[in-house]
Amino acid sequence: MESCDFLDLLKERGLLPAAPVAAAEASLQPVEGTTIIAVRCADGVVVAGDRRATMGNSVVYDRADKVLIIDDEAVMAIAGSPAVAWDIARMLEMSVQYYRRSQLQGLSLDGKVRTLSRLLRQNLPLAMQGIGAVVPIFAAFDHAAAEGKIFFYDLLGAEFECVDFCATGSGAHIVRGALYYQNRWGPQPLREMAGEQAVELVLKMLETAAEYDTATGGFREAAHIFPQVVQVTAAGLNTVPEADLAAFYQGA
Amino acid sequence: MLEEPYRWVEAINNRREYVEDQLASGSPVVGTMYADGVLLLTATPGPRKLFEVYDEIAFAAVGHPADIEKLRKAVIDIAHLEGFNLSANDVTLQRLVSFGIGPLMKAAFDELFRSPFVARVMMAELDPDGGGDAFFTIDADGSFAQSGGAAAISGNAESAQAMTAQLQTVSPELPLDQALGAALEVWGLGRLTLDARDGEVPSAEAVRDFLKGGLQGLTVEAAVLDRERAAKSKFRLLSAEQLAEPLASYFEV
Repeated sequence: MESCDFLDLLKERGLLPAAPVAAAEASLQPVEGTTIIAVRCADGVVVAGDRRATMGNSVVYDRADKVLIIDDEAVMAIAGSPAVAWDIARMLEMSVQYYRRSQLQGLSLDGKVRTLSRLLRQNLPLAMQGIGAVVPIFAAFDHAAAEGKIFFYDLLGAEFECVDFCATGSGAHIVRGALYYQNRWGPQPLREMAGEQAVELVLKMLETAAEYDTATGGFREAAHIFPQVVQVTAAGLNTVPEADLAAFYQGA
Repeated sequence: MLEEPYRWVEAINNRREYVEDQLASGSPVVGTMYADGVLLLTATPGPRKLFEVYDEIAFAAVGHPADIEKLRKAVIDIAHLEGFNLSANDVTLQRLVSFGIGPLMKAAFDELFRSPFVARVMMAELDPDGGGDAFFTIDADGSFAQSGGAAAISGNAESAQAMTAQLQTVSPELPLDQALGAALEVWGLGRLTLDARDGEVPSAEAVRDFLKGGLQGLTVEAAVLDRERAAKSKFRLLSAEQLAEPLASYFEV
């Protein structure tokens, strides 16, 4: 049987982006100036990310898209080197589409999780040099289990499934404590929150992270900069429109 | 012996006859524009015949199932490599046909030591840039033709011609349920013309009677490229339930 793997096709045609080999004294320096949050709620998962891209102490861009849509039911959110991350997201998206179209059936959730893992492993030489590290969160709706699922990855491509919530990036440690508190002692566990409440919660968390982490961008209405929030539900993906986000900030 | 030009021409002609013969019983495929995009319709006894190639590009074929699969795979490969290296906007039907599948089929047809593709292909694109043609048809020998806002492929030329002629009377602005009915009538015409030995085009009544008699084990298959679909991919295969109501009146006994 012919291969149904888009990565094999790229390799066969010599089009697979090649990572340079790591230098001898390479050291692992995670540079992930950002905050990405994923929370499991009653109707699926809410994934959110700020929009700031940094290089050392400088803010280089304030409208970076870090929550990337893979297909009708999955998103990938990224912390780390944007160039590599966008390439990985693109390859993942194309792999999923290519599989679905050529095999006439969708790639399973496990298959998608595994494909992302392989892509990260392939990126290891760049990550080892401290310039191309990517630490993504992958969130999807699992129709078989009728619930949303969140996976996070380490630099080597190992995947871990999160139970309640997950945060990554330089601002993650700030919101992780707050999310734990909310889940354990808040009015209700995160899993029982309605989708809208969960959207509100992640926006508050992003603002908290932006307050204490310089690499996390905040909301700026004058400049029309809003975080990215995507709801992953049984009905598909919903990118929360900026008007709704603006309404939230006005109400808060 | 094949070095002699005459022999080569003779061999190619034999091959053309062989391919025509193999294709002769192929169930027609109808393609037309409708209010929300592009509609493809056929009726088959078995494997699927209407496929998605890329976000806004669809593929259908008449012929040997294994050859259809090979062509489908080839064109999906080309489309995805282009889409990955450039962008989705650069994956256009015109390029896929004239630089991809056309030369591929022509090469297989001309090389006498390889087997030709026993297939006729129709490809469609939703709203091509610059108002280009929504349909292309590609014959087994690799010759391709743009065919505007409607197209037909079938087992033989008479059947395809009769269908193409009737498609000229189908408005490209029909809502989906009406377009499905019109496409089914064109399919019926193509199917009856295939069976008519004398090449005579059957009347509209004959087509309706034929459809009313049921499709003798064939199942209607229809797919759309729907510009109203929210996802990037505009292709949608219509389910049996979605087809039942619009086509119910054609099958009443």
